[in-house]
Amino acid sequence: MNATAAAKVPVEYNDKVVRQFLLASVIFGAVAMLAGVFIASQLNYHELNLKEWLTFGRLRPLHTNAAIFAFVGNMMFAGIYYSTQRLCKCRMGNDTLSSIHFWGWQLIIIAAAVSLPLGFSRGKEYAELIWPINVAVAVIWVVFGVNFFLTLHKRNEPSLYVALWFYIATIVTVAMLYIVNHLSIPTSWTHSYGIFGGVQDALVQWWYGHNAVAFFLTTPILGIMYYFLPKAAERPVYSYRLSIVHFWSLVFLYIWAGPHHLLNTALPKWLQMLGMFFSLMLWAPSWGGMLNGLLTLRGAWDKLRTDPVIKFFIAGVTFYGMATFEGPLLSIRAVNSLSHYSDWTIGHVHAGALGWNGFMAAGMFYWLAPRLWNTKLYSTSMANFHFWIGTLGILLYVVAMWISGIMQGLMLNQVTADGLALKNTFLDTLQAIRPLMGLRVIGGAMFLVGWIVMIVNLWKTIRSGKPVNEVREVAVIQRGSGDTMGVKETFFNAPTTCTLGALFLLMGWIFLPPGADVAALVGTVIFTFMAIRRATQNSENWAGWYDKLLSNYLPFTVLTFVAVVIGGLLQIVPTVTVNNAKNVEDRVQKLYEPLELVGRDIYVSEGCYNCHSQMIRTLVPDVMRYGDYSRLGESIYDHPFQWGSKRTGPDLAREGGVRPDSWHYEHMMNPRSMSPQSNMPSYAHLKDKAFDQKTLPKKIAVMRQLGAPYPPMDATEIKMKALEQGAKIATELKKSNIVVRPDSEMVAVIAYLQKLGQFDAVEEEAIQELPKPGLPFPLKPVIPDSVRKASPPLAN
Amino acid sequence: MDTKKPSAPSEPVLREHVYDGIQEYDQKLPRWWLFTLYMAIAWFVGHWLFYYQLGYGSSDTVAIDQAMAEMQTAREKQMESISDAQLWEMSRDPKIVEAGKATFMTPGMCVTCHAPDLSGTLAGAKLPGLPLSDQEWKHGGTPLEIFKIVRRGSPDVTKGMAAWEGVLGMQRVGEVVAFVLSHHQEGEPITRAPDSPPAK
Repeated sequence: MNATAAAKVPVEYNDKVVRQFLLASVIFGAVAMLAGVFIASQLNYHELNLKEWLTFGRLRPLHTNAAIFAFVGNMMFAGIYYSTQRLCKCRMGNDTLSSIHFWGWQLIIIAAAVSLPLGFSRGKEYAELIWPINVAVAVIWVVFGVNFFLTLHKRNEPSLYVALWFYIATIVTVAMLYIVNHLSIPTSWTHSYGIFGGVQDALVQWWYGHNAVAFFLTTPILGIMYYFLPKAAERPVYSYRLSIVHFWSLVFLYIWAGPHHLLNTALPKWLQMLGMFFSLMLWAPSWGGMLNGLLTLRGAWDKLRTDPVIKFFIAGVTFYGMATFEGPLLSIRAVNSLSHYSDWTIGHVHAGALGWNGFMAAGMFYWLAPRLWNTKLYSTSMANFHFWIGTLGILLYVVAMWISGIMQGLMLNQVTADGLALKNTFLDTLQAIRPLMGLRVIGGAMFLVGWIVMIVNLWKTIRSGKPVNEVREVAVIQRGSGDTMGVKETFFNAPTTCTLGALFLLMGWIFLPPGADVAALVGTVIFTFMAIRRATQNSENWAGWYDKLLSNYLPFTVLTFVAVVIGGLLQIVPTVTVNNAKNVEDRVQKLYEPLELVGRDIYVSEGCYNCHSQMIRTLVPDVMRYGDYSRLGESIYDHPFQWGSKRTGPDLAREGGVRPDSWHYEHMMNPRSMSPQSNMPSYAHLKDKAFDQKTLPKKIAVMRQLGAPYPPMDATEIKMKALEQGAKIATELKKSNIVVRPDSEMVAVIAYLQKLGQFDAVEEEAIQELPKPGLPFPLKPVIPDSVRKASPPLAN
Repeated sequence: MDTKKPSAPSEPVLREHVYDGIQEYDQKLPRWWLFTLYMAIAWFVGHWLFYYQLGYGSSDTVAIDQAMAEMQTAREKQMESISDAQLWEMSRDPKIVEAGKATFMTPGMCVTCHAPDLSGTLAGAKLPGLPLSDQEWKHGGTPLEIFKIVRRGSPDVTKGMAAWEGVLGMQRVGEVVAFVLSHHQEGEPITRAPDSPPAK
């Protein structure tokens, strides 16, 4: 550890890029919140869906993407660039890369802000941006990663501080998640089909979606907490060993929790169980971060009264604790059956986004601005005002959403006295939560007001100072004094082999056939006890090894990657490699006719999935309201899947064939003519717009490539088929005195909606006969559900 | 505070290394915190063992199929007690008719397509629903036939009415039918529509 201290040289930090990211985050934060207040208002006042590009379905992705990537993204980069340079005692790796990173990221944000309202969307949450922008995001992220690791490479501080561990985990994991979830085949410059469909897409999407929360909104901010909180408190961090335990358990467990977004759905049960239990196990590691934050303030609690920075940090960490307690709670299948698709989830997210991200950002900005512009904060009382109005705003928001979610959940589940009918229509429940949705707007607006006060305060602060780049005298260390750990030392040592061995056996317990699985479990227990004994007996060796690991950034990064990759591999690979036909249960969906496919793409691009799910869960109230529960095979050709995550409107999985075409026409022209007091936007603009025939043959070709069994058709045939079906619907509508173009988007969407829920029955034996996947080895891994001991009594 | 006496043996270790001015204590992990982690792991292992190894608990699909089958049996039992005569009788009971009217007139329900006056037209414009106040019945006009349509929807639901039993339940379906029948007389002529499906 003793860095051979050579001559001290002055190092000028690149603080310019920190200032740029900080300002971008402040501004885009306001934009994201403004968009949030606006779309929240649309839920009560449908008239606010002013134009087709200002509808809720298109603006909600803009709000979420702006909040995550523009606001928190820029904030994270500001914090990482500032702290990494100081923790490594050197300037960022490369100034050009820093600039490309900054400007590239802002261009991506602008491209998103233009393309989303125009209706260009991939239809997956927080992954809506179209493929050319995806490529840009991946490239810029790699630029960021290279720049960051270059900095680590030339660092003058051999040992990596805990903040850097979290940054490393962030960079590696986000790259992995983003790339896998965005794999797609383009059909044009603005449209593509993801390579995964149905359940596979659902699993990959929520592996990504949940870990966007974990590794974009949580780990980098924890890193920022570990740097800025002790700095502001001027106190040592509470516990180094808690840092170690909670870091490694957090990054390992988080990645497994994705399926908790798909509880009680058609997702195989073993995945649901893993999602639920890993979420529960995640509670303690998350609270480890909270404890290390809060307890660092021991002996400095008096600062809470005087220093707004500490106020924001402590409130932020407290909201983090609240949200990470609520998360595991919502992941329990029984709780989730009530809360899922409701406002409770929305409240949960905002406790994190406003409370944790918003307040950590504000605290960091108030601490950084005076230092970056060499001045004093303009007004402490304005910062205090920001704190209080923000806190009240979040509380109002979260409490309103709790009540709304629980109330709507209970009302939707209510049945008549004989238990054979539902008590409330969907619209009844919507009316009931309207006042609470109104309160939410007020809470959000209060938070926005606080934010604007902060902008003014920061502006005045900046005006009173001048930008400065900090210069520090740094002892340059000789290359080669650190970073010497080889593969052998990284992997073949007691801590790594014990941990990986126990985990490997644990996987054996889950995936091995009966008999072998129990043996693996017994092995896991023995191994764990052995590991604990060795760790306590040789604690100095283990600690020494870890100390050494900390001065070797590449081995540290590799081990981090191993920790995050295990969960994803074991959940996704079995589901993706298993033959598609194995994922169908007893039904397979009918192939979309060309016109229906067009309609589906319009449904996706309008963002209908933001309010309508297509997944009837295996729950009695769901089946009573929407029909027979959804089977895996019923979305097998859906690229992307549209199971949804929120029901502001009813589920549409079996909407097809339930109502006449004329109902759908009238409903889309003016939803309130058919569903009084509905809050759905009007989609009258679909009536006059001709659907896109040009790219249709290419779309069918890509769908074939992805495994949809379309018969060979040439381009004219495909277009003719679409137009014929359109003409049929137009003729049908004419009977109700409705005149509509047979090649309009309206007709295409009606065709799609009428197709929803149509399937072919699959012979039970046909499923059985398919070759089972597995390794050519006596111990073939099996999916747990297929070998469950109890033989399920056949229902049909 | 307690940090003022650093030499006491119970004091936490303060690690020597300083990172840009930041130091770290090396406090022991809080016991209650470790306990929550161990409990969560134990729950996972235990639950998995019970469900997959020992086979306790039924799978989701088995459970839901069973629950829905029980409801179906209960519904069929209720059906046995319903006849044309009984529905006519109900249609003369003001209390039942009033209840049926309330359901019928609920926004988003029957009234949306069939109009408040049951004519299927609103201000001259034709609504998606057929008139219920005349004597022409596309799917049959006996009380039980009307009852069936309300319960199950029209034979081809893409061209007609949705099934309402799931939403309303048998009792309210009966009340709504009674309300509709209250606009008619027992024994009045029933004509089939030109586009009626062929009678069985």
